[in-house]
Amino acid sequence: MGTLEQRRRRAGYAALAPALLILVLILAYPIVDSMLLSLQGLRAAGGTFEGRFIGLSNYGALLEDSTFRAALWATAYFTAIEVLVVVLLALGVALLLVHPCGRFGIFRIVLLLPWAIAPVANAVLWKWILHANYGILNTLLTALGLIERNVIWLGTPGLALHTVLAVDIWKSVPFIAILLLAGLNKVPPVLYRAARLDGANAWQQFLHITLPQLRPTIAVAVILQTLWSLRIFDLIFVLTKGGPADGTVLLNFLAYRTTFNFLDLGYGAAIANVIFAVSLVLALGYIWLLRPGLQKAEG
Amino acid sequence: MSRRRIGRIVGRSIVVGGLALFVAVTVAPLLWLVISSLMEQQALTAKPPDFSAGSFTLANYAGVFAAAAQLGQGFANSFLVALFTTAVAIAVGAPAAYALARLAIPGANTILLMILGTQMLPGIVIAIPLFIVMSHLGLVDTRLALIIVYLSFNLPIVIWILRGFFLAIPPGIERAAAVDGATTAQIFRLIVLPISLSPLFATGVFAFIESWNEFFFALILTRQSARTAPLVISQFAGQYQTVFGQMMAAAALAIAPVVALAILFRNMIMKGFAEGMVKG
Repeated sequence: MGTLEQRRRRAGYAALAPALLILVLILAYPIVDSMLLSLQGLRAAGGTFEGRFIGLSNYGALLEDSTFRAALWATAYFTAIEVLVVVLLALGVALLLVHPCGRFGIFRIVLLLPWAIAPVANAVLWKWILHANYGILNTLLTALGLIERNVIWLGTPGLALHTVLAVDIWKSVPFIAILLLAGLNKVPPVLYRAARLDGANAWQQFLHITLPQLRPTIAVAVILQTLWSLRIFDLIFVLTKGGPADGTVLLNFLAYRTTFNFLDLGYGAAIANVIFAVSLVLALGYIWLLRPGLQKAEG
Repeated sequence: MSRRRIGRIVGRSIVVGGLALFVAVTVAPLLWLVISSLMEQQALTAKPPDFSAGSFTLANYAGVFAAAAQLGQGFANSFLVALFTTAVAIAVGAPAAYALARLAIPGANTILLMILGTQMLPGIVIAIPLFIVMSHLGLVDTRLALIIVYLSFNLPIVIWILRGFFLAIPPGIERAAAVDGATTAQIFRLIVLPISLSPLFATGVFAFIESWNEFFFALILTRQSARTAPLVISQFAGQYQTVFGQMMAAAALAIAPVVALAILFRNMIMKGFAEGMVKG
C-alpha cells in the first residue's frame, strides 16, 4: 500500500512512462545515433547503407570545405540580421497593440495569420509575388516609379539572400510580437500610475518601466527566434533551392542537400551536428531563463 | 489647446498610423493570394494585371485538382497524419503532463526541461538517423512513419502546454476526492480531464496545425503514396511554375483549414502557447 504520497508517486511514474519511452525512441536515440553516424563514411547506395568508421575525418573535412564555410558565414549573417530586425519590429508592434487603440480583436487575428499558414504555401505565395516578369512587387514598384527595370529578386547573388531574409522576417514578426505582448501585459499597471504621479513622460516610462520589466521576455524572444532562424529550410527549398551560385545555401539546407541529394549521410550528419551544437547552447540558455518561473510554479 | 492635449493627439495618430501600416503589410500578401487564385491566367500576366470583372473565375480551383490528381490524396494524407499524431500526443502527453504538474515525481523539473530542450533542436539532427531506421523497417513512404516522427515535436509541446493548465487547477478539488478514497487514476480520469476539456482541445488544435503544415520530415520520409499536402503543393509549384492562378488556388486550399482553426481558437492558442513559452 504505502502512504498516499508514495501511491501518488507510483501512479505518476506509470503516467509518465509511455511519453518518456516514445521520446527516448524518437528524440534521444536519434540524437546519439547522429553523433555515431558523423564518425562514419556512410553512403546510401541502391537502397542500402555502406559505412565504415573513419573517426573525426568528417569534421576535419568540414574545416577544408569552402561550401560549408560559406554556408556557416551566410547562416551567421542571416540569423543575426533576422533576430535583430524581427525583435525590434515585433517590439514596435507589441507596443502599438497594448495602446488602447490596438486592443480590438481583429488585431489578434492579424497576428496569428502568418504563423498559421503553412510555410510551403507561404513560400509558393512569395515566389509568385517576387516573380521577375509577372510578380506584383515589380509591377507595384514600377507603377510607383521606384524601379525602371524589373528586379530579379531571387536570381541575383547577394540580393537573393536578402529577399529570403525579408520574407522570413515578414512571417516571424507577428509571432514574436505575440510573445512580447504577453510580456507587456504582465507589467503591473500600478508601476505606470506611480510613474505618472511622479511626472514621468511616455518615453521615460518606456525606458525605466517597460524595458526593464520586459527584459526576460525579450531574452526569450531572442533565443527562440535564433533557434528558428537557424533551422530555416522550407523557404529556401521552394524559393531558391540554394541558388543562385549557392548564394542562399544556409547550414540546414546544406545538411539536407549533402545527406539526401548527394547521399553522403556521414558528412551530412557532421554538418547537422554543427547546427545541433549551436542550438543546444541556445536551448540551454532558454531553459536557464525559464528556471525562475518554473521554481515559482512549483513552490 | 494645451500642449499636453496636442501631444496626446499626435501620439494617438502615430499609434493608429502604425497599426494601419502593420495590418496592411501583414494582410496584403495574403489578400493577393486569394485575389490571384480567382483570376484568369491572361489577366494575371497582362501588364498591368487586368482587374476588370470578367477576369475573375473559379476555374483555377477546378483546374488545380485536374492538373494535380495527387492533391486530393495529399489532403487526405495530411488530414489523417495530423489527426492521428495529435490524438496520440494528447493521449500519451496528458497523463505525463499531469504527473509532472502534480504527482511529486523526483526531478520533475529536470525531466521537463530536457523535454523542452530536445524539442528546440533542429529537425535535421534526428532526421538522418530516423530516415535510416524507417528504411530498415520498410516504413518510408507510409503515413505511419510520419505519425511517429511528428510526435517528436508534438508530444513535447503538448506536455509543456498541458502542464501549465494542470498547474492552474486549484488542488483542493483533487485533495477532496483523495480523502473520499479515489485513486490517483480515478481523480485524473473523473475530475481533472472533464474540467480540462477546453485546454485539451486547444492543445490538440495547436498540434494539428503544426502537423498539417510540416514539410521537412514529409520531404525526407515520403515518396509517392504518403505525400502530404505541403509536399504536393511544392512539387506542383515546381512543375507548373507559370500557372500562377492554379498555384495560388492550391496554396489557398492548403492554408484555408488551418487559418479557419487558428481564427476560431485564437484566444486559446495565444494564451496556451505564447504565454506558456514565456512564463515557464
